[in-house]
Amino acid sequence: MNNYITEFETLFKDVLENEDIVLTNETTATEIDEWDSINHIYLVVEIEKHFKIKFSSSEILQWQNVGEMIDSVKAKKED
Amino acid sequence: MLFNSFEFFIFLPIVFVLYWFVLNKNLSIQNILLLVASYVFYGWWDVRFLSLIMLSTILDYYVGLKIHNTEEPKKRKHWLWLSMGFNLGLLCFFKYFNFFIDSWITAFNSVGIEMDPFALSIILPVGISFYTFQTMSYSLDISKRRLEPTKDFVAFATFVAFFPQLVAGPIERASNLLPQFLKRRKFDYYLAADGLRQMLWGLFKKIIIADNCAPYVNDIFANYGSQSSGTLILGVIVFAFQIYADFSGYTDIAIGTARLFGFDFKRNFNFPYFSRNISEFWKKWHISLSSWLNDYLFTPLAIEFRNYKKHGIFTALFLTFLISGLWHGAGWTFIIWGGLHGLYYIPVIYSKKRFTSISTNKKTSKKEEYSLSDLPKIILTFLMVCLTYIFFRAASVADAFGYIKIIFTEIPLWPSSVPYKSLFFIAVVMVTEWFQRGKEHGLQFNEDSKVPVYLRWTIYILLLLTILVFSGQQQEFIYFQF
Repeated sequence: MNNYITEFETLFKDVLENEDIVLTNETTATEIDEWDSINHIYLVVEIEKHFKIKFSSSEILQWQNVGEMIDSVKAKKED
Repeated sequence: MLFNSFEFFIFLPIVFVLYWFVLNKNLSIQNILLLVASYVFYGWWDVRFLSLIMLSTILDYYVGLKIHNTEEPKKRKHWLWLSMGFNLGLLCFFKYFNFFIDSWITAFNSVGIEMDPFALSIILPVGISFYTFQTMSYSLDISKRRLEPTKDFVAFATFVAFFPQLVAGPIERASNLLPQFLKRRKFDYYLAADGLRQMLWGLFKKIIIADNCAPYVNDIFANYGSQSSGTLILGVIVFAFQIYADFSGYTDIAIGTARLFGFDFKRNFNFPYFSRNISEFWKKWHISLSSWLNDYLFTPLAIEFRNYKKHGIFTALFLTFLISGLWHGAGWTFIIWGGLHGLYYIPVIYSKKRFTSISTNKKTSKKEEYSLSDLPKIILTFLMVCLTYIFFRAASVADAFGYIKIIFTEIPLWPSSVPYKSLFFIAVVMVTEWFQRGKEHGLQFNEDSKVPVYLRWTIYILLLLTILVFSGQQQEFIYFQF
């Protein structure tokens, strides 16, 4: 899990252009200024590219925090 | 019942006293009181249309439970479609039927097929665009597993019909408002007093600015052909302040009223005319609608189109704005208004700087603080918004283009009539709100504020006296028609 968090953190820093971002499983969009609805789409695209996976739309719409995003990636990678 | 009416002035204290001093022992009875009061508030305007609210309430209450208790994705979808179909069906019939028929016939006539125009005389039920959006968000959130349905029918019905926000929002989400109906509310003197101050500020904006600007603006837009360019420019600027004072004034009264009863609504306006760019404007103007559209329309669309990168995001955004236009009114003027705002996002999306969205529910952070050095950007953004208002306010698309043509083809001379009194009060409100821009409304004092009591009361009394002396002729709230 820790590995995923670090990889996510790098992606977030890159897309949101903010080096100070620190992620935990409980982090939500409201806590990071740059994480708004347009950037969210870019994050999804980058995560899919990075992990070479494809989410379903309904999966994406159910995420509530970073932990749930990571769970989705894990489920796909470890299938 | 209008907030700025004598009836409301009587109604509110009665409900307040019953709520806090007579029925304060029992939560369910308090909720029943609020529900009955809300139905009286709405029924005062038109009893017949209460049945629509009740139907929408019963349906979404039931659908919420059904979706939650079904695991099968297909069945969950069917229940969701029932809720969406019913609510959008109501909206389409009452709000858009004549518009679609009209546009259809015009399209046929333009290709040479003659069709007789016909229209049903449909009255638009007040608040329908607001409460249908509120109930739809409940079913949508449950279907996305973001919310647990409630089993307390009265609490749910009151959440849908709660009178401070029933007719023109804020469009509350169940996740914020519904839990507040399920737990005991405590009377908090500071919150209640702040609620009263916010109501006073809202009334001032509505009665002094919006109602006084209305006749001036109406006259200019009705006879734009015989006006000079300068007058037309001033006309749309005054309209910008009229609609802001009208709608944010309404919202202040709504939020303040809710606070009197111990409820906390989400913020709906965050001093939007101080925005430095268009995406900031949409984070500060009618936040409850833009965040609704953001969550239930823009985001799903953008996710669907995500492989097309920026083009996908722009398409999703443009469609969202077109629909936002249509939400405001069944007319091409509103669709063009929305489309223009969508086009304003082209530089935001295609310049590879920071991407900012149409809306988020974030609190203002320190970074967002603006200063007077931002004034050129603030004015430019305001003028861009004003240009779209010409479509928003004009009676038809042809009128809007006629209006714009005069503005841009004639040399702007000093306007023939200037509403100095209104401009003075607009300046008072805008300067006050500038200094209060870190707070929730123009008349908020912190709990530990150093402003002495005598000075506060002087301000309240001055505002009240101004309302008594300078009130414009009572006008309905603009957003009641949407």
